[in-house]
Amino acid sequence: METYVILRRNGWRTADDLSQAAARSTAEGERMPDDVAWLRSYVLEERDGTVGTVCVYQASSPEAIRRHAAAADLPVDEIVRVADTVVVRPDPVVETV
Amino acid sequence: MAIAARPRATQLLERAESLACLHDAYTEARKGRGGLVFVGGEAGAGKTVLVQRWLAELETDALWGRCDPLLTPPPLGPLLEIAGTWSAVADAFHADAGPYAIANALLNLPGAGAPTVLVLEDIHWADEATLDALRVLARRVGATPNLVVATYRDDQLERAHPLRIVLGELATTSAVTRLALRSLSPSAVAELAAGTGVDAAKLHRLTAGNPFYVTEALVAGGTDVPATVRDAVLSRMAHLSASAVAVVEAASVAPPMLDAALTLAVCGDASDSVDECLATGILVAVDGGIAFRHELARVAIEGTLSPTRRLALHRAVLLALTDRPHDAADLARIADHAEQAAERDAVLRYAPAAAEEATRLGAHREAAAQYARALRFAGHLSAEQQASLHERRSDALYLTDDQAAAIAELEQAIGHHRAADAADREAAARGRLVSYLTCRGHLSEADRAAARSIEVLDALPESLLLADATSAMALVSAYHGDDDASVRWARRTLDLALRFGDHEKRIGASIRLGVVHLVRTGDPVPLERTVADAREHRLWQLEAEAMHYLALGWSVRGANEHAERWIAAGLAHCERFELDLWRLALLSLRVRRELERGAWTEATSTAEGIVAEIRDSPEPRLQALLALALVRARRGDPGTGPLLAEARAIAERATDPGWHAPLACAEAEVSWLEGRRGDVAKATDTVFRHEREAPGSWWLGELAYWRRKSGIVDELPDGVDEPWSLHLAGDWHRAAAAWRAVGRPYEAALALSEAEDEEALRESLAELQRMGAAPLAAMVARRLREVGARDIPRGPRRSTRANAAELTPRELEVLALVAEGLRNAEIAERLFLSPRTVDHHVSAIRRKLAARTRGEAVAAATRLGLLQDR
Repeated sequence: METYVILRRNGWRTADDLSQAAARSTAEGERMPDDVAWLRSYVLEERDGTVGTVCVYQASSPEAIRRHAAAADLPVDEIVRVADTVVVRPDPVVETV
Repeated sequence: MAIAARPRATQLLERAESLACLHDAYTEARKGRGGLVFVGGEAGAGKTVLVQRWLAELETDALWGRCDPLLTPPPLGPLLEIAGTWSAVADAFHADAGPYAIANALLNLPGAGAPTVLVLEDIHWADEATLDALRVLARRVGATPNLVVATYRDDQLERAHPLRIVLGELATTSAVTRLALRSLSPSAVAELAAGTGVDAAKLHRLTAGNPFYVTEALVAGGTDVPATVRDAVLSRMAHLSASAVAVVEAASVAPPMLDAALTLAVCGDASDSVDECLATGILVAVDGGIAFRHELARVAIEGTLSPTRRLALHRAVLLALTDRPHDAADLARIADHAEQAAERDAVLRYAPAAAEEATRLGAHREAAAQYARALRFAGHLSAEQQASLHERRSDALYLTDDQAAAIAELEQAIGHHRAADAADREAAARGRLVSYLTCRGHLSEADRAAARSIEVLDALPESLLLADATSAMALVSAYHGDDDASVRWARRTLDLALRFGDHEKRIGASIRLGVVHLVRTGDPVPLERTVADAREHRLWQLEAEAMHYLALGWSVRGANEHAERWIAAGLAHCERFELDLWRLALLSLRVRRELERGAWTEATSTAEGIVAEIRDSPEPRLQALLALALVRARRGDPGTGPLLAEARAIAERATDPGWHAPLACAEAEVSWLEGRRGDVAKATDTVFRHEREAPGSWWLGELAYWRRKSGIVDELPDGVDEPWSLHLAGDWHRAAAAWRAVGRPYEAALALSEAEDEEALRESLAELQRMGAAPLAAMVARRLREVGARDIPRGPRRSTRANAAELTPRELEVLALVAEGLRNAEIAERLFLSPRTVDHHVSAIRRKLAARTRGEAVAAATRLGLLQDR
């Protein structure tokens, strides 16, 4: 398993759409535990009022990420492999909108 | 002796779930939905005990077949054992039947209303033919009211163990269930030890909860726990008389059992002590003889024998077995005793005979092992005799997909032929070596072998041996793209084959002639005729080869629908007859076709399947790695480097330009897409120089295109093939049209991406966005901005949901046929898919609809409205 960052810009109209997508993502992820593990996501406030995400996953391959995205109906703009991780502070936990 | 502990110890603890699972499977089978249940667990986990308990609770009988722990097991051993009890199956064995027919005969047993239960024990020791039969059983049993239960030791399956491969292949087959028996918990061990005075915690620690070890330790009596399972077993022996020990020892060298006559022959007067052995519970009475209660006990006793005692026992068993009438099914066992008795003449007599029997039954791995056994004792034979054993072993190895070993073995045979001055046989063996060498991309070596072979044989009187050389020449000519020469050599082969009446060589030559005819004229009839011809002579390998060349010939002509139809038909054929080399070759054609038509999701899943394959077949693996790398690069996904590095390592071991050129093209394209244009020269220089000199090179245009795009200016000869020549001429619109005509949308969009007009660029962008080709789409969008275009579409932001359950179009198609009540085999036929692919689709459908059965899936689909409009 390698770590990847996945960009899903302007993926959803509303935060509500996004939370439904998150539920589908979790359900599909549980069906392919050997191939993808969702670590965390940052929800983006897009300029056009829509919602996007930057997601951090562990996956067996980029194809596995795309399979998971297709099954959970998530957009994928770009997949980038993470070469190294530098954690300076834990993520702040923000109340979701 | 603590006999009193025995009934307690055979209590079945912590197995309720596994039992329930077996009962469920039986209930389903009774409804016509049969299954295959794998019961795995370490040695002594209680697999047999579980199955026996389940059958006892059902009050039903089963057909039992056991695999034997021999160095080289007898082919189809467990199925022969079952056949011994059922005449319906025995008939199938007589009719020249392979594993396929036998498995079907087992499934078609006339049941008396209740499911027939087949128990195959210890299949980690199974021979290749039995495993083939198991594959067939797994795929077919679901549509019958029968149940197959197969037990195996899951702690002894190393990575390349043949059973592990089978388990992997069957992982997604819907009729297959796997049970894993775990060790007993501390509380279960405590329950068993209650009242014996044994320290339960220590017992659990030492035995690690292994049920057999726990039982033996408790039977051993006393309050101390024996330190190993072996000690526990041996403690039972302590009270036996000398003659009883002799019986137990004799039984330990003759698995699976010592029948009454054998006992008498080997043990003499000591045979009177059989009852004493049975009373201790070390041995049990089985049908017609005595056997160890458990294999662990047999191994423990066998381990105590001195080398001389062991040798003497094997000699006695060998003598007894060969003295009495025996048949083909006994050969493997006799060969095993012959080797362990170090009886050279007996090994040389029985091992090759056992090998021939194994070959007849399709157990090629066992055949190769029997020939190896004979060769270990063959040092004193004549060079010709040794050459013959090496040649036969080479054939067997080739059929197990171990091409590297088959080549080495054939080279040994060539050495022996040379020592015997048998120039004709040496040359014929060289001719056969050619096809193995081309398979592994060793084209220059194949050239040399073919040339030497023809040189020698041409000088000798004509014989069928010459056909080995002429067909080798036809093959290497085809690899060099010299169709005229290939046709000449194939005609000569055909002529020899007709004169000497050899079907195999006749059909082989006709395939070569047929494919050239198809590629040149578009007329498939002669090649199609070879399919029927091969089938008529039951030459399944040749039938697969003919289908493969039909697919290849059609795809060379750009007739994609025909190509895809033959790929599907060929795959179904290969699965049916377990022809793995041809199956992989067809899959690599499929992956290329999927890549070409822009079906990237399908292409990656086919390619992942090829890459996961453990079988050693470098060319399909190379194609799969290149397809994966190209899809990643075209999507803009990371991770092309390791794929290309592995592809490079495969190609570097080969001299076939047909391996190096596609690698160079892929490396150039990936470098260019990833913005490393400086790498294109390094990836293509050598191959480009080679292809520029090759007459009618297939790859030259593509190589030249990527080099020019990266700023390299080349002198080009005339006659570069379309459509790449149109790219080189800057005729983007005609290039795009030519690509569309052969069903390659990505290349069409690539051509239009260089056009000057906004309309063409917009068309290119739309196609690239549809395919998810992000990097090239971004470049086209930039060019559109440069030409001043407005409102450049950003592409679909998200996939549109085709249906609530997200079934793919193919899955919807399969589902509709499931709803019509068709079985997988019928669906496969209807949709030109392989049965295995349909199995995959059906499991995906059941998973997505959260349905346990086909019926539930159809009900869920109806509820969601997925079956309307179809």
